[in-house]
Amino acid sequence: MSLHVYLMRRLVLMIPLLVGISIVSFTISNAIPADPTAANLGERAAADPDIVAAFRHKWGLDQPLHVQYLTYMRNLLRGDMGTSIRSHRPVVEELRRYLPATIELATAGILVSVIAGVIFGVVSAVWRNKPIDFVVRILSLIGVSAPVFWLALIGLLVLYLRWDVVPGPGRLDARVVPPARVTGLYTVDSLVAGDLGLFRNSIEHLLLPALVLGAYSAGLITRITRSSMLEVLSQDYITTARSKGLREWVVVMRHALRNALMPVVTIIGLSYSSLLSGAVLTETIFAWEGIGRYAYNAARTLDFPAIMGVSMLIALVFVVTNLVVDILYYWLDPRLRHG
Amino acid sequence: MRRFITVLFVLSLIVMVFGTVTAQDDEKVLVVGLSEDYHSLDPNRAYEPGGSQVHHSVYDTLVTFPSDSVDEILPNLAADWDISEDGLVYTFYLRDDVVFSNGDPLTADDVVFSFNRMKNLKDNPAFLADTIASVEAADDLTVVLTLEHPDPAILAKLIFDAFSVVNADVVREHGGTDAEDAAETDTAEDWLMNNSAGTGPYMVESYEPTVQTVLVRNPNYWGEPAYFDRIIIQNLPETSTQKLILEAGDIDIAMDVIADQLPSLRQNDAIEVFSTQSDTLIFLLCNQDPEIGGPMSDPLVQRALRYAVNYEELKFLSGEGADNPAAMVPIGFAGALDPSEGLTRDLDQARALLAEAGYADGFTIDLEYPDFNYIGTEFGIVAQKVQADLAEVGITVNLVPQEFQVSLEAYRAGRQGFSLWLWNPDYYDTLDYVEFLPNGVVGNRANWTDENADQEILDLRDAVIVETDSATRNELFRQIQLYEQQNGPFVPLFQPGVHFAYDANLQGFAYNGQWRVDLTRLHY
Repeated sequence: MSLHVYLMRRLVLMIPLLVGISIVSFTISNAIPADPTAANLGERAAADPDIVAAFRHKWGLDQPLHVQYLTYMRNLLRGDMGTSIRSHRPVVEELRRYLPATIELATAGILVSVIAGVIFGVVSAVWRNKPIDFVVRILSLIGVSAPVFWLALIGLLVLYLRWDVVPGPGRLDARVVPPARVTGLYTVDSLVAGDLGLFRNSIEHLLLPALVLGAYSAGLITRITRSSMLEVLSQDYITTARSKGLREWVVVMRHALRNALMPVVTIIGLSYSSLLSGAVLTETIFAWEGIGRYAYNAARTLDFPAIMGVSMLIALVFVVTNLVVDILYYWLDPRLRHG
Repeated sequence: MRRFITVLFVLSLIVMVFGTVTAQDDEKVLVVGLSEDYHSLDPNRAYEPGGSQVHHSVYDTLVTFPSDSVDEILPNLAADWDISEDGLVYTFYLRDDVVFSNGDPLTADDVVFSFNRMKNLKDNPAFLADTIASVEAADDLTVVLTLEHPDPAILAKLIFDAFSVVNADVVREHGGTDAEDAAETDTAEDWLMNNSAGTGPYMVESYEPTVQTVLVRNPNYWGEPAYFDRIIIQNLPETSTQKLILEAGDIDIAMDVIADQLPSLRQNDAIEVFSTQSDTLIFLLCNQDPEIGGPMSDPLVQRALRYAVNYEELKFLSGEGADNPAAMVPIGFAGALDPSEGLTRDLDQARALLAEAGYADGFTIDLEYPDFNYIGTEFGIVAQKVQADLAEVGITVNLVPQEFQVSLEAYRAGRQGFSLWLWNPDYYDTLDYVEFLPNGVVGNRANWTDENADQEILDLRDAVIVETDSATRNELFRQIQLYEQQNGPFVPLFQPGVHFAYDANLQGFAYNGQWRVDLTRLHY
């Protein structure tokens, strides 16, 4: 099958998938035995039938559920995701505000974990059962099993408070004025504004959260890379390559690693989409207002339009990342191309 | 590709070495760490306690409290006021030297506009205007407020942020209206998010929701100018993060300190700590409806509960700053009984009362509660303590933790038989605690109504809600609380502590329950 046909098929399949997800999340968020009126009105306002009625009417909660859903979908097709009950602002605008923060953090996190994970994995496979292998395996175990809030607090305590090598929580220093908004990514916007100091500040603020957020995936990627490398290194064609007299470096990097990467790419894809779908704990501790915090606040206050908006966005992130992973397979594995 | 990466790498190295942040260092900036609970900066929609930090800095009200208590009503925008004999008409005489941040002088029309807008927006604080029949401008500097019926709490209510006076012309220009249909037609909220139209020492410079709120000094302020040029309120939702940043010196004051953090903060000479009991009342509710409350609807069982609970240990469990109110009026409110007058644990008495009610062998009951942590008070732990205390008198308590919103809805609908809840004051007058009496907001949640209540408490309630003489009021509240100690469906448990930590060099810190900390009075 050619790549084009394959892509087209995947894109068309996305539509029923997203519609399905919208129905499921709409149903689930409305099935909760709690009322957004109670969540969003104060003690006294919620006791006043007039205010409650006005509230329900304003947010369309007085309509039957299927009408609410159809209205939502009709608006969604026009790019209107409704208005957040909690903040009275359009959901689209809010997602646009919070998504860049998450993209910035998730990308930095995945960079950290891919670089650390692949290097560690290769090193520990090549020097299997040597001291370095044990060190790496212990590190990866810590990465996979340490709770993220613990890592974050220890990281802050040591690297920020004690040693002062990284700045505190937040995306920039509190006293610094954020760059003019172009993409919402402070790293990019500060460069666009030509402010190197601001760029540096935003990178510094990214370091620790990225390290903490990337720790779990780094551990996972290390372990997958290691086992995958071990399997590949025992194959006949590696023996052949070695017996041809190729340098070990070339054998490992060119012949083994590329073939060992297949399962790693899957893990990277999955990790990236879960990082992009928000990391509530990391975002909370580092005062990093992204999609994770937004989703949490939306769920807490039963802010239906916001819950739906986040659900759809996260669904889209997963679907698109999976697609990209499949394309990467295509590129990595010639059998798929020529098969 | 490879070359591009190399170039990028080298570039970043250069930046790392030479780039530094450009902050205006000559500016005096106060950085506040706060777990942001507000999502609007429209003062006439003000409701959340965190928002007070902003509103109180940016807007003024007709009357005010001292910065460290809520005991006394002081003049503010109104230099003076008269109250008619029947307690129905309040005439306020405005100061003649007040100007808004844009230079416009304050007039009575601004006050009328602000009050009507607040009422007609029908948002969360609108109930505070329920007793107001009309507000009119008698002349440029005289405001006449007429009430539906005497409301001894009206002056205290007027101090709440929602009664902030805005510049009517400016707010109208940006879509504001005080008309009756304001709830549908007013569109000024958007503008008020990033701007302000007040008479306070600061103006809103920018507000990035859930990130930070920036205030800048009002050049036209009519009073003493504030010390800081700018106030940055940074949203730090996690209390441990707030503590760390304060210790590192990146914020000047942490607004959400919890009791567990106090010992470590006290060891730090560079940090000052302020601790007192909060106005939050944690209590048990028993449903008066036998269908819902079961044995808990029995007045003797309710009384037994009040003797079975270990108040001292609950206070200890809650941590520093916590205290036990003697009845349902929290410590700090005028007329509240002294904590020393509170009930103490008496297991014999509790057992005797249970036996009298026919439960000598005890019974089994569900305790419903929202499973959450409120400013350091873990409801699950309090519920476990109640469970342990009641086990000693033979009552087996099954803990039923519930998701907050789910529990809240059942509580508000009066469907919980036996539950653990909290109440924060809506305004700083003891009258707010009439809500714990029959037909009050919380009374209704326990199905305590005019029909099933004693005449004694109904008479006391009806007398206190219209009484304006403070000595008589206090006496009535005293009798109500003594009644509550023996009767009624509530058990007051404790008021948790409230704590702040700030740079030890920071001066001018003062706390009151209404706006917590007046940021405009802080200075180095």
